[in-house]
Amino acid sequence: MSFWRLLCAEWQAVRADSAVMLVLFGGILFYAVLYPLPYKHNVAGEQPVVVIDQDRTALSRTLIRRVNATPQVRVSDQVFSVAEARERLVAGAAHGMLVIPEHFQRDVLRGSPTTLSYAGDASYFLIYGTVAEGLLTAGTTLVLETQALRSLMVRDSQAPLAAQLQPVRVLAKPVFNAVGGYLNYVLPAVFVLILHQTMLITLGGITVKDRARRAAGVVSTPLLPALLARLLLFVGLYMLFASLYFGFFLALNGVQAVAPLAQLLLFTLMFLVTTALLSLMLGYCWTAPEQPILLVLISSLPLVFTIGFAWPVTSLPGWLDALVNLVPARPGIQGLLVLNQMGAPWSVLAPQAGWLLGQGLLFGGLLLWRVRMTRG
Amino acid sequence: MRPELDGWQALRASRWLRVLALWLMPVLLVLLATIFAEGTPRQMPVAVIDHDHSSATRALVRALHASPALAPQQGVSSVTEGTLLLQRGEVLALVTLPQGFERQLRRGLSPELVVFYNSQYLMAGKLAATAVREAAAEYSARAGVTLRVTYGQDLLGAVAAAAPVRPQMTPLFNPSMSYAHFLATAIAPAMWQLVVVMTTLLALHWRQQQAPWPHASGERWRALGRLLWPISLLLIIQALLMLWAFHQLLGWRGQGHWGWLVLGLVLMQAAVQSLAVAIMGKVQDVVRALSLCAAYLAPAFAFMGVTFPRADMNGLARFWGNLMPSTHYMKVQIPVADQGAGLAVVAPALLALTLFLLVLPLGVRWLRPEANR
Repeated sequence: MSFWRLLCAEWQAVRADSAVMLVLFGGILFYAVLYPLPYKHNVAGEQPVVVIDQDRTALSRTLIRRVNATPQVRVSDQVFSVAEARERLVAGAAHGMLVIPEHFQRDVLRGSPTTLSYAGDASYFLIYGTVAEGLLTAGTTLVLETQALRSLMVRDSQAPLAAQLQPVRVLAKPVFNAVGGYLNYVLPAVFVLILHQTMLITLGGITVKDRARRAAGVVSTPLLPALLARLLLFVGLYMLFASLYFGFFLALNGVQAVAPLAQLLLFTLMFLVTTALLSLMLGYCWTAPEQPILLVLISSLPLVFTIGFAWPVTSLPGWLDALVNLVPARPGIQGLLVLNQMGAPWSVLAPQAGWLLGQGLLFGGLLLWRVRMTRG
Repeated sequence: MRPELDGWQALRASRWLRVLALWLMPVLLVLLATIFAEGTPRQMPVAVIDHDHSSATRALVRALHASPALAPQQGVSSVTEGTLLLQRGEVLALVTLPQGFERQLRRGLSPELVVFYNSQYLMAGKLAATAVREAAAEYSARAGVTLRVTYGQDLLGAVAAAAPVRPQMTPLFNPSMSYAHFLATAIAPAMWQLVVVMTTLLALHWRQQQAPWPHASGERWRALGRLLWPISLLLIIQALLMLWAFHQLLGWRGQGHWGWLVLGLVLMQAAVQSLAVAIMGKVQDVVRALSLCAAYLAPAFAFMGVTFPRADMNGLARFWGNLMPSTHYMKVQIPVADQGAGLAVVAPALLALTLFLLVLPLGVRWLRPEANR
């Protein structure tokens, strides 16, 4: 039997399995459309804040206008007490508050200490961060301007003006995802995870069923060449899906992708071969075709937070960090982010490529061992 | 009709069912507690390039070292080297101190510290940048006092003048600003939702393998009840365990009345189980039903609006989020637990969860295999 015939036989088995076909040609496209959906606006927009103005002066009104003018927040309402403001926050009508104290203008102009109080809803961190950024920017710039004006009128220090206002300036610049967009942050990593998890379901499920058919004597193609053909078939299919994901869907969502094509394809190939070997190996451990889906459903969220893009690896305990290194998604996601999002040279990928290679050998070895066990 | 086809028997017969209904959730809770044990990321690696090598920059680097959030790496000699570290993801930020920093500081020329942070790792990168900014601001305030004193102002006046307007930012409803609190209390309900749907589907699958569902509608309801009540009991215990774990492991202090949370969980479980019955009834095959539920409920966490606000989602995303019970449950949990809200605030969400129960009669009708033909 020629290898081509074997490949066709494997493809026939896939085509005949409606559950697997549904995931391959429905699920993968569906996910590509679904996952970007919540983040289409990419950055959190203007958050409503309430203001308690206890000063009611020209300066306090200027501050309110400045707050309103920032892209991060808008003043939704003015209230008279903190309790009232809190009520608005609990009801979700506002996400932050600004308290301008009594005698704010007088104290600022006199240079006597006063406090501007800001508060944000920290149940939602992205909202909190946005509110904090907007309120602090508006407050700080206004106070700096007023102080500058005051220092020009009342020279209580001989130090240069710049040093009086800001002895050291700090400039923070985001790199790799210059807009700080959520799509740019989530999609490139989640896309790789989707490829990984759906391959476990489809290739793993097909393998479980194939084993059952072989045990029943229905399938008689030689086993090891058939496994090789199945591996090649799925890696080939997934190279197409990966091209679609990294080529079309990232661009569609406006996510930058900078890797040279040949390097991107080569690393993707390594990742997919290793993932395929894991799927085949697990296919020889599972006993029923629903088990791959159960494992994928259970593992997806924990993987998101242990792979290293959503939560820093340095915050994980050592044993957990080491354990996740055995999952192809970890080096796959890290490597593809480094290559395609952060534009690092190819040589930087050595650790990720090494992990993939090591995993590939491990899963390949375990697969052969499991195959021999089921035969014997 | 064999009366013994109940949930207990299903649990005895299926190992995966036991895994799901008994010990998976506790294991996941311990895993979440382990992942987020730090609460807020500490010791985040940042690289420092000191082009000035002066006592001022050394003092600034010491200020960075003093921040518990940062683990500064020195000895990076060039921007090229630092960029490579940043690209590899080995550091989250790159702090550059320009040549002439100390001279400019002494002359009052306000030197600039530039921090490049990795916004591909958006959350961690921003946190690292904020920590650098805070440490530098503290250093800056001290340097300002020194400068004023150098220029002849008395110390007390200098201290008062250095920071006349104190900004005070208060995180409401999560006073410790803990990411463990923020993320784990949303991830766990999303995971529990998956556990509920998987357990219910496996139990229905087991039941269908044993014997066909009874024809008479009342019989079928009773058969379903016999199958699901033990499993539902175990699942709600898992959910209560989850609330207890939030309290014990994450230091979560519920503000509002716990009764609303429990009611929310019970309704959410009933909603998810109703959906599971309907899906299983419609497709009649456990693998396909699980695939559908994977497509439907696996992304629930993203649609809850905890990490990315729902108000900033487009209509389609909000609609899809509304189709998931977890979205509505979070509208109960966050206001009640964090903000001490009462029934008036959470009633719409509880009502929405109740609406999901409307699919249950349909599901029970579809369970009869011939009902689909």
